[in-house]
Amino acid sequence: MSERQHTIFLDGEEVPFRDGETVYEVSERHRREVPTLCYDPRLEAFGACRLCVVEVEGLRNPVASCTTKATAGMRVNTRTDVLEAHRKTLLELVASESRAAAEAPAGAVPGTVDPLRGYASQELATLASRYEVSGERFAGAKSGHSKGADDDNPFILRDYDLCISCYRCVRVCAEREGDYAISVANRGFHTQITTEFDSKLSDSSCTFCGQCVQTCPTGALADKKALRKVDVPGELQKTRTICPYCGVGCSVDIVTKGEEIVAVQPAMDGPANEGALCIKGQFAWDHVQHGDRLKTPFVRGEDGELRPASWDEALDRAAAGFRKAYAEHGAHAIYAIASGRAPHESAYTVQKFIRAGFGTNYIDNCSRA
Amino acid sequence: MSRTVATDAEILARWKEEPAPLLPLLHAFHDRDGFLSESSIRGVAETLRIPLADLYGTITFYHFFRTFPPGKAAPRVCDGPVCKTRGADALLAALEKDGATPMPCAGRCDEPVPVLIGDTQFVGAADGSLVERETPRPAPRPDGGEECVFAHVRDPARRGIDGYLATVGYAGLRRAFCEWTPERTLEEIDASGLAGRGGAGFPTGRKWRAVAEAAGGPKTIVCNADEGEPGCFKDRVLMDHDPHATLEGMAIAARATGATRGFIYLRYEYPHTQAILENAIAEAEAHGYLGADVLGSGQEFRVYVRRGAGAYICGEETSLLNSLEGKHPFPRNRPPFPVTHGFEDTPTAVNNVETLCSVGPIVARGADWYRGLGYRGEGHGDHAGTKLVSLSGDVQRPGNYEVPIGLPLGTLIHDWAGGPREGRTVQAVTMAGLSGGFLAGDALDVTLDEPSIRAHGSFLGAAGIMVFDDSRNMVEVAAQAMSFFAHESCGKCFPCRIGTQRLTERLTGAAGPADLDAWTAEVADIGRTMKATSACGLGMAAPLVAESLVRRFASQVAAHVGEAGERGGERA
Amino acid sequence: MSNPLRDMEKPEAIFCIGTNMTECHPVAATRLKRAVAKGARMIVADPRRIPLADYAELYLPIRIGSDVALLLAMGHVLVRDGLVDEDFVAARTKDFEAFRDHVKDFTPEWASGICQVPAADIEKAAHIYGSAGRAAIYYTLGITEHICGVDNVQSLCNLALVTGNLGREGAGINPMRGQNNIQGAGDCGAIPANFPGFQACDDPASVAKFSALYGRDIEPVRGITKVKALELAVEGEMKAMLICGENTVVSDPDRKHCEHALKSLDHLVVIDLFPTETTAMADVVLPATGWGETDGVYTNTERRVQRVRAAVPAQGEAKPDWWIISQLAKRLGLPGFEYQSARDVFDELCSVSPIYEGLDWDRIDAGAYHWPVPTKDHPGTPILHEDGFKNGRGLFRVIHYRDPAEVVDDEYPVWLTTGRRLEAYHTRTMTGRSSGIDYLLSEESLEVHPDNVAAWGLQDGGYARVTSRRGSVVMRVRADTTSPRGTVFCSFSFGDVPVNDLTGGGYDPVTFTAELKVCPVRVEAVAGA
Repeated sequence: MSERQHTIFLDGEEVPFRDGETVYEVSERHRREVPTLCYDPRLEAFGACRLCVVEVEGLRNPVASCTTKATAGMRVNTRTDVLEAHRKTLLELVASESRAAAEAPAGAVPGTVDPLRGYASQELATLASRYEVSGERFAGAKSGHSKGADDDNPFILRDYDLCISCYRCVRVCAEREGDYAISVANRGFHTQITTEFDSKLSDSSCTFCGQCVQTCPTGALADKKALRKVDVPGELQKTRTICPYCGVGCSVDIVTKGEEIVAVQPAMDGPANEGALCIKGQFAWDHVQHGDRLKTPFVRGEDGELRPASWDEALDRAAAGFRKAYAEHGAHAIYAIASGRAPHESAYTVQKFIRAGFGTNYIDNCSRA
Repeated sequence: MSRTVATDAEILARWKEEPAPLLPLLHAFHDRDGFLSESSIRGVAETLRIPLADLYGTITFYHFFRTFPPGKAAPRVCDGPVCKTRGADALLAALEKDGATPMPCAGRCDEPVPVLIGDTQFVGAADGSLVERETPRPAPRPDGGEECVFAHVRDPARRGIDGYLATVGYAGLRRAFCEWTPERTLEEIDASGLAGRGGAGFPTGRKWRAVAEAAGGPKTIVCNADEGEPGCFKDRVLMDHDPHATLEGMAIAARATGATRGFIYLRYEYPHTQAILENAIAEAEAHGYLGADVLGSGQEFRVYVRRGAGAYICGEETSLLNSLEGKHPFPRNRPPFPVTHGFEDTPTAVNNVETLCSVGPIVARGADWYRGLGYRGEGHGDHAGTKLVSLSGDVQRPGNYEVPIGLPLGTLIHDWAGGPREGRTVQAVTMAGLSGGFLAGDALDVTLDEPSIRAHGSFLGAAGIMVFDDSRNMVEVAAQAMSFFAHESCGKCFPCRIGTQRLTERLTGAAGPADLDAWTAEVADIGRTMKATSACGLGMAAPLVAESLVRRFASQVAAHVGEAGERGGERA
Repeated sequence: MSNPLRDMEKPEAIFCIGTNMTECHPVAATRLKRAVAKGARMIVADPRRIPLADYAELYLPIRIGSDVALLLAMGHVLVRDGLVDEDFVAARTKDFEAFRDHVKDFTPEWASGICQVPAADIEKAAHIYGSAGRAAIYYTLGITEHICGVDNVQSLCNLALVTGNLGREGAGINPMRGQNNIQGAGDCGAIPANFPGFQACDDPASVAKFSALYGRDIEPVRGITKVKALELAVEGEMKAMLICGENTVVSDPDRKHCEHALKSLDHLVVIDLFPTETTAMADVVLPATGWGETDGVYTNTERRVQRVRAAVPAQGEAKPDWWIISQLAKRLGLPGFEYQSARDVFDELCSVSPIYEGLDWDRIDAGAYHWPVPTKDHPGTPILHEDGFKNGRGLFRVIHYRDPAEVVDDEYPVWLTTGRRLEAYHTRTMTGRSSGIDYLLSEESLEVHPDNVAAWGLQDGGYARVTSRRGSVVMRVRADTTSPRGTVFCSFSFGDVPVNDLTGGGYDPVTFTAELKVCPVRVEAVAGA
């Protein structure tokens, strides 16, 4: 085996590649910004949108860079006038079939949708803007039929009027989630994403993990819960954290507007989940700002009922009870249970409280329930 | 006596362990019930461990399968380009009371209009009358020249194995298995210059050698009998009247490559052909030409017939393989190619019926003999071998002709087929069925070989040639052609999925600019991008129809855009 | 887990036992599904036909509580059929001979009588697991929530040791932790046997170390478990308790006993996010900030130490737990609680815990480290035991099958087992307050095999009274083939179906984990309800 590093020529620049890498992957690493709509780095390359076509010297037609492996000495052009013209035509064709793209108000970028629809929902609009796509060319029939009242599930909006048949949803459901809940019905321009027997998602093998929503490049699949927050004022902010449910430790972004949580989105680079979530992590977040939350301390009054109290009063009461128990019954009359749900800083201080305060190891956590 | 109807469990058990079981299973339920019920779909999904959504989606891909009654029993009437000119619409209307629906070109353009009811194909007339007839045999070659694949096809005895053996049938197989090494066979096929007769024209010897040299197995021979190109009906006559020739070619391919199993992927529109092929397979197995140990060579080779279900894209070899495997019939990304990763990822040679039928005679009589069959007319000395042409439309004697490669098109149309109808002239012909678009004017001087036709921006392909005389509106013909491509576009790649739709709308006038320059610019832009970026041949070829129309029939196009513009208020 | 989550896509053979992973750890399960799609062979052993079984080559519907018998017989086949990794056993293990001799008697036929699965399937399972180049075991509470939980785990260890499936990529023994930071709670020393970093409470050096660090002599003996503490409360010896973020009344077995225990205390302080059945019994309730409002650290099931961050302000006057406890400590005059931030607390933890010694607040920012991380230049430890076991050699254990604490009889003829459902989490303090979840799972129901529904005079959608030796609960009936005939299932998530009124027949003698997975009951139809 030769130790020599293999290279290709990317727009004339000699760059190295790794065995098995596609031309698209090499181009991405070298920041060529080759456009795509059907590509998701977690999925098998599919080759549907053809936006990523590049010219390879010696080949008559452009090739899809996502499905073409780099080979030593290959000479690739990623951005010629001819390629850019094809890309613009392709984007105008795509824009012409989508309701949002074709019906965008004059002057608006075709494909514009609210970013609360999902993680990747801005991809079409971003490319439409970059290529100055007209929403008027290639006018004709629209493809796809939205499921409005036909699917009343509370989580996933199936707004197929915006669907461009990139099949990222179908592929993520099969290749990443392994649920195979959705597939492709009909063919050609009449293609429609479907469940078994065209049923509601809740009657299919869908588990509402939301991965289809988050990979959709047009917002055709959208987060219904987030969309209820469209009118909340403020810029979208994302805060990276870890899901509060099971022990897998999926990375998520909490999406906020001002002081309000409006959505959760998966972190595509989360080491434990690589963009995956489940129904709980994806959709069960509104407990945080729920009206039931405890907002003040409470102490039990003379009447035996809990009543609101100041922190000072409550902490004094709490401390007094432990002081009394210790004084009257000793260290072995005091116990603490830490939480397996709270962060380390909670468990650490609780155990330190017992050990430093009473000199025992009378501490446990909820792992036995 | 009561008829026994197979239970679900019996049907599932019959096919569960067979190779490529999905299509026969679906057909078995479709045959039994007339449609695919939810419970049978669930049973198939569970038995074959196919996700239910995937199976449901795949079933909707095939236009033959229905999920509701009357389903299979309802007549299907061909509305291909030639049948459209022979009363297909009137026939459809006449049969509407029976639930008739149109089907794309069903491969009987020499004798329109085919109608499929259940498993019987009829020939229908505009008044609704139906007769059942055998596939027409080709007329004797007009110039008396020697033929390869048609040499014995007119012999009524040739369908049975005795008749086949009596006319030097299986001589090539015997030589390949008993006298020659696989390498010797490969060399002979290489030397013959035989190339894919399904349209792609890839050298057969090179394909087989790649399979022979590929690692892994079991290796597979697939006969592509999904003759779906409108205007093509040549494979049908070969299979119906000379079925052993296909089997012999497959077995020789198996010997040359080391394959142990073969599939014939047959379009559903030829139901009678399935019975003929299965009978021939049984005969060949009984005589030791197929089976566990072919002619005592120690090599196994079994052939299975699998019936398609109505999808033009399944004539594309990787879609065909996905369909055989029970997957959604989208074309695959290549590489890898089928020669290394074909059926179930094993090395696979996919060959057309005509190609395979040429193999037996080549091995029996030699490469030099075959090469010598090419056209030897003035200034055309280089052509090797023959090609079947399906000629139909506005000519006196439509039908299949085995022509020497390089024969002038004019000779075929005027001398062999009698020229246009009385009082008419040839306005245009299609090439490669529909995929090559139109030739007209000076371009009608081409000779029937790829270099000559490609020089005019078209290609010979599977050699379906439809003739349109000066009474025809070429914009209408083009619109019908494009709507066929739109109907058959698989929906995987964007340029073809949307492009065929948009071109159809522009050719029918349903949508598109009213201004001729804008109209022409849109059609040209779509066509250019489809040709350059589509993922398979369908999307690359489809724009040729529009492009050649605009180039050769500018005044008809201008009139069409003008009329459509006047109707503008009605547009979507 | 001995191995990282990404290894779940690498085994050739996968053995899942007592883990309803697609519902309880859905994202981890996606990796197993991908492994299977790529050709891995999967065995699933579970009393219920859980969704994971659909992806398996071999599904073993074992009787509840019969795991040890199954695992002994698999060990028998491995030894009998020469599937022992002799090199690994010789180089890295101890007491193999005792194990080898022990399993001789435990044939698949013997186990078949207990587990109620065909002997041939047990053989097949052993062959799939034992002949793979890389085989991994995954388990959850279906293994541990038994009186023989420790035996179950050690039986699994025996299989991994005998086949050399430890300390390598794509192999290992992998318990899936059920709560976001249950691993972290243990890491932090919130357990009676260990100081932070699993330094033993009965190890003199560790006792001296923490006594010095915390400025107080700590007794050199292990503490008692929560179960024992609740018992002592009932007996009047335990007087004051601090409960942080746990709805003990609902989540623990034998609810009546638990309520009795908490009522018996003189002083109960509960820190929580929501009012719960447990806060209702407290003398003082302190409102904590929760997820999305608190900076801090979690450690996940693969020992990956990850940052959590506040995205929104606290609700009302709620405060982080560390602040609350520090305030409490200060009022008791304890030194060492002068923290200004979560960072201060975490950095102190790192400084006292050898497995975190190489970490600090800034280093864990990207979640790149699996503990142990002993030094600042250490890359972390995705795979445990690669270079050897902590105590030298992997020890084979001789395990005997035992019946569950309670077995079915004429009075309680039906096995009840409990678990979780995909859409609900624990006692629904969070999922129950998230809109939309009700659409998919609006109430708890008793999953009963359709044949039993008919035989027991129940109605699908009607109600049944479920009675154990400790209590009785009425719930809706749902006919479902997921549970086998004679076994019923429900989750513990719904407060109006307090299934833990029924459970609690016994505890593992080592860990005091309750036998929540096995509870003989009687099921009777109830009209109306």
